Amino acid sequence: MGNIISCRGVEKIYRQGTVDVSALRGIDLDIDASDFATLSGPSGSGKTTLLSLIGGLDRPSKGEITVAGENIARLSKDALADLRLHKIGFVFQSYSLVPVLSAIENVEFILRLLEMPSAARHARAREVLSEVGLAGLENRRPSKLSGGQQQRVAVARALGPRPALVLADEPTANLDSKNAEDLIQLMAKLNETSGITFLIATHDPRVMVHARRHIELIDGRIVSDDRTQASAAA
Amino acid sequence: MNRVALLLPLAWRNLWRNPRRTVITLAVVAVGMWSILIFDVLFAAVETSSRDQALRVMTGEGQIHASRYMDDPNVAYSFVPGTAMLAVLNSPQVSSWAARVRVPAILQSEYETRPVTLAGASPEQERKISVLPSSLAAGRYLAGDDDSGIVIGRDLLKRLKTRLGKRVVLMTQASDGHLAQSGFVIIGVYGSTTPVEDEFVFTGRHAAQELLGMGNRISEISFDANAGTRLDTLVAALRTAALANDAHQDNTTHGQPSGAHPSLVIEPWTQFSPIAAAIENVSSTYTAVWLAVMFVLMAIGIVNTQLMAVFERTREFGLLMALGMRPGTVILQVAIESALLVAIGVVLGVAATASTLAPFGDGIDLNFVASGVDRYGLGRILYPKLDPSTAVVPGMIVWALGIAATLWPARRAARTAPVIAMTQF
Repeated sequence: MGNIISCRGVEKIYRQGTVDVSALRGIDLDIDASDFATLSGPSGSGKTTLLSLIGGLDRPSKGEITVAGENIARLSKDALADLRLHKIGFVFQSYSLVPVLSAIENVEFILRLLEMPSAARHARAREVLSEVGLAGLENRRPSKLSGGQQQRVAVARALGPRPALVLADEPTANLDSKNAEDLIQLMAKLNETSGITFLIATHDPRVMVHARRHIELIDGRIVSDDRTQASAAA
Repeated sequence: MNRVALLLPLAWRNLWRNPRRTVITLAVVAVGMWSILIFDVLFAAVETSSRDQALRVMTGEGQIHASRYMDDPNVAYSFVPGTAMLAVLNSPQVSSWAARVRVPAILQSEYETRPVTLAGASPEQERKISVLPSSLAAGRYLAGDDDSGIVIGRDLLKRLKTRLGKRVVLMTQASDGHLAQSGFVIIGVYGSTTPVEDEFVFTGRHAAQELLGMGNRISEISFDANAGTRLDTLVAALRTAALANDAHQDNTTHGQPSGAHPSLVIEPWTQFSPIAAAIENVSSTYTAVWLAVMFVLMAIGIVNTQLMAVFERTREFGLLMALGMRPGTVILQVAIESALLVAIGVVLGVAATASTLAPFGDGIDLNFVASGVDRYGLGRILYPKLDPSTAVVPGMIVWALGIAATLWPARRAARTAPVIAMTQF
């Protein structure tokens, strides 16, 4: 199985006033297609930074990142946006929905950017909302949904375009236990049934239980990279 | 992809995320638009009134004189229009024209003597180009070119301390240089602005030519261009005709050699009514300046509002870009929101202007400041009219500039990296 993500010597340095702060220090990492992996580590270890660089939301200070065969350092802003649109789904810690759009409109908005025909778009949006357990709530705006429901809409939006890769940054951080468990089960199921690669930045042990690979970061370096039995079995 | 169709519903909903701010911005644009249009319409009404007063009294849209007449409106500087000239005047380019004798004179009643301008007019031609024949306060207008009665202004009648039907004596210089004088019966009294009432007295053209001994010569021709004919084009055609006449016959001023220089001067109304022309220029300039001032005020309001709106939503724009929206699409989204906002404001401003003007459909009566408007050569009733073109041009300018004013905050939002937008805002 090929790599969907490949990082070589990735460094990220932020300038804070007159001081340079290294957020990532020489990351070498390959993620297989259809993997279900977690990035863990204490706060400030570089999880979110690495996720942002892999997602093309920011550019590395040094090193190369290849996502779905594209070296993202060489892509223009528009090309990066297109890569995210076509290949990558994002789920953020806060629910990050467009507040003036209903649940189904939030999902459809991305599909419209993809120029999907109206009927197919609508059907796909309903399908993914149903998959995440939100059938019947399609027309509610985010303010009328619970935190768990909003995060499910965000997952549905990420899955709508059938991405090769989903990057999730602390997706369960703002959810209660039940909603968190439901969401994890959902992502694990989608990984198994659809073969979508999940890379999740988290320190939630409930998420890690379901992952087949655990990558731990400390101070911008990978300190451990373990594959579980589930991974080996897979 | 039709990105506008994608973004339009989103833009519309975004406008109403903060209704108070949207309403304030709409008010700024609508009031600005209203003030621009009201001033534009009122100035246009003043301009039209001034022009009508100036042109519809006797001037016409253009005039033809012997070359020295404007410096010295003497009976000596007269002319006979040639065939080429008459061909142009009778062509479809000209809607109406009137030939006159026009010389300075003295009018004397039993009690007073006043300087006047004697106009020997052809009533049939005059009615088509001047409002005076139909502005009679008493009596009648001239019956024909041979009518030897006199029509004078209402104020002049008062100053001469005479009345309709009474006899007055008119004295002027004849074409042979001698004093010509004759008694006239006042057959009509016209009403106009005070300066006009005091200046012009009318008799039949043939009667005047006979008094002055000038044969069939005239002092001036006033003409109006037909709708659809450019005045400058018509003036050029008449000048060409005048040169053709010069080349073929001596129809020029007495004692002036033919061909030395153009014998006739043909000028548009702006040369004869500089005040009306100045008002028109001032009106255009003032409207432009007012438009600029109001736009700057509106732009400050719009930019301020959009800056706040964009700043508040920087995180959201970062999110949309993270999800795959191109930076250019973010700019387009902000521009569409602004376009919607300003367009609604413009429409409200136009509607407010129309509502404001509706009660004045019959005109704004300025009779309560009659002496003032007379002094400035205005009519006593102004007719403010909101033409579609009056509203469309400033509306489009405000709309286009309103969109342009938002491009900076939009560009700023689009240039912010998604990760910065989502983490630092």
